[in-house]
Amino acid sequence: MTQTETQSENKLKTKDEVKVAVIACARSVNLEGELSATKLNGVSNCDVIQVPCSGMIQPRMIEAAFNAGADGVIAMGCQIGDCHFREGNKFCRERLLGQRPPMIKKTVPKRRLKGLWMSEVQVEDFKARVEDFKGYVAEQLVEEQKGN
Amino acid sequence: MLTSFVRSGQKVILRIEDILNKVFSSEQNLLYYHGAMPNFCMWMLFLSGLLLFAYYTPTLEAAYQSVEYITNKLPYGDVIRGIHRYAADAMLLTVILHALRVYFTDRYREYRLIAWYSGVALSVFMLIIGVSGYILVWDERSFIIVTKITDFLGSLPFIGSSLASAFLNGEVISNYTMSMSFFLHTGTSFALLVLLWVHYMRISRPVVNVTWAIGSLISGIILLFAGLFPAISGPEAKFTVEPSYFDIDWFYLWLFPLIDAVGNIGAWLVLIAGITLVTLLPNFVRNHDKEPASVSKDHCVGCRLCSIDCPYEAIYMAPRNDGSKYKEIAVVIDDRCAECGLCVGACNFDAIELPNYKSPQVMDDIRIALQS
Ligand code: HEM
Ligand code: SF4
Ligand code: SF4
Repeated sequence: MTQTETQSENKLKTKDEVKVAVIACARSVNLEGELSATKLNGVSNCDVIQVPCSGMIQPRMIEAAFNAGADGVIAMGCQIGDCHFREGNKFCRERLLGQRPPMIKKTVPKRRLKGLWMSEVQVEDFKARVEDFKGYVAEQLVEEQKGN
Repeated sequence: MLTSFVRSGQKVILRIEDILNKVFSSEQNLLYYHGAMPNFCMWMLFLSGLLLFAYYTPTLEAAYQSVEYITNKLPYGDVIRGIHRYAADAMLLTVILHALRVYFTDRYREYRLIAWYSGVALSVFMLIIGVSGYILVWDERSFIIVTKITDFLGSLPFIGSSLASAFLNGEVISNYTMSMSFFLHTGTSFALLVLLWVHYMRISRPVVNVTWAIGSLISGIILLFAGLFPAISGPEAKFTVEPSYFDIDWFYLWLFPLIDAVGNIGAWLVLIAGITLVTLLPNFVRNHDKEPASVSKDHCVGCRLCSIDCPYEAIYMAPRNDGSKYKEIAVVIDDRCAECGLCVGACNFDAIELPNYKSPQVMDDIRIALQS
């Protein structure tokens, strides 16, 4: 899908309508009992897909999420400095910042892509941050419309 | 039961870290430098030890006076001596913190065994360095330590008497005993470096350096203690006087109250049981069946990215001569693999996969989730 196609699909949405995909390290925020299948309880339109470590998140997984209709994508790992596998979240962050290969494609809307680094115990914090991000994505979609 | 105990320990650690992150930011979170902090203390010890080494004389007649000279006459000698004393305590404290953290966050078994076993050996070595260090001062406490250690070693069946005379370096306390203690102190210190090399063997890019801020904090605390509670000697040891002074350093000299309480054989049993228990901790948990990453010959282009990113040195690049146009192929050493998937994140060709989490499957999951 090209960038223009993605954007035309993403025409003005309210914060609640914004669709977010979280590709999350299974060891970061503890989501036991917080998910119905992949949907995050208490937050609208938020899907969580877990992987063993945020270091496993490939740029192509992020592209896949945008292409499948996500308005915003969050890559989530543990607090930077702590990673069960020592360096996974650092590498993930470097990829998000474009500092480590493989690089994220230019067509990915970087402003609607976010890295989030939280530990197992920060469940409530996490939900609040997702809500904030949804608001930010909604504004961002408006900006992108204006830009065209 | 053990698992739930460890899980609650982990929650406590994560909560403390969460608070530290909020106060100091994650870049300056002490607990994220759990391995680097003892390392920093060790280098402080080497440096201050080098300066002490320059003036110290390991003989019965001169040892005490040389330490007094360092403390009272040498400019800043007392500070250097204080740094050496308190950096040793700080090193042990941070090592304990480090060991507790890796234990409670479940980062000590399976592919981390080499680090765990060498860690146990490092702590035993630290005990030897600590005890022998207190002999070098040659005050009354040193005298007591030498006699007690001689008895302690001698109490072992069969090898006891030879160990005791090896420690005394003869049959009585002499200058040779001082040489032996000096050797035990400095020789074992250098052996730490060899052990640390083993400790880091399976760890790519170990975090060995603290930040400037944390380094300054640790040095500041050590200096503060050196200033407030100067390291001083007790009365000089004399063969004609029954020694009585024994100020205890609970970090390194706890063995002696232990011997007083349970006797030599009892103390051996406690020591051996303790070391065995800690060494065997990884065996108390059942490891899950391993599903290491595997490389697809058809997809790998030999770009090396996975072998660079692997945090446990589990991937090497092998030359390939199977007619492929690529020169190298990634090879996973199954035993070392942590099943973390960092290699998957690094590979742009779907050439390396975790059998349980294949990346095409993850992408399908993403699509299905978003369409539901
Ligand atoms: C001289 C004392 C020691 C020093 C300087 C030291 C230093 C370090 C350092 C720098 C790391 C790498 C941390 C990282 O980058 O992730 C490490 C890892 C480790 N250490 Fe130590 N260590 C010491 C003693 C110990 C002790 C006493 C134990 C436990 C008995 C221990 C167990 C471990 C384990 C299991 C790891 C692997 C952690 C992981 O893979 O995440 N260490 N150590
Ligand atoms: S990253 Fe992928 S393509 Fe590159 S060497 Fe590793 S397995 Fe092969
Ligand atoms: S999953 Fe990959 S990166 Fe992780 S330890 Fe195994 S080979 Fe290394």
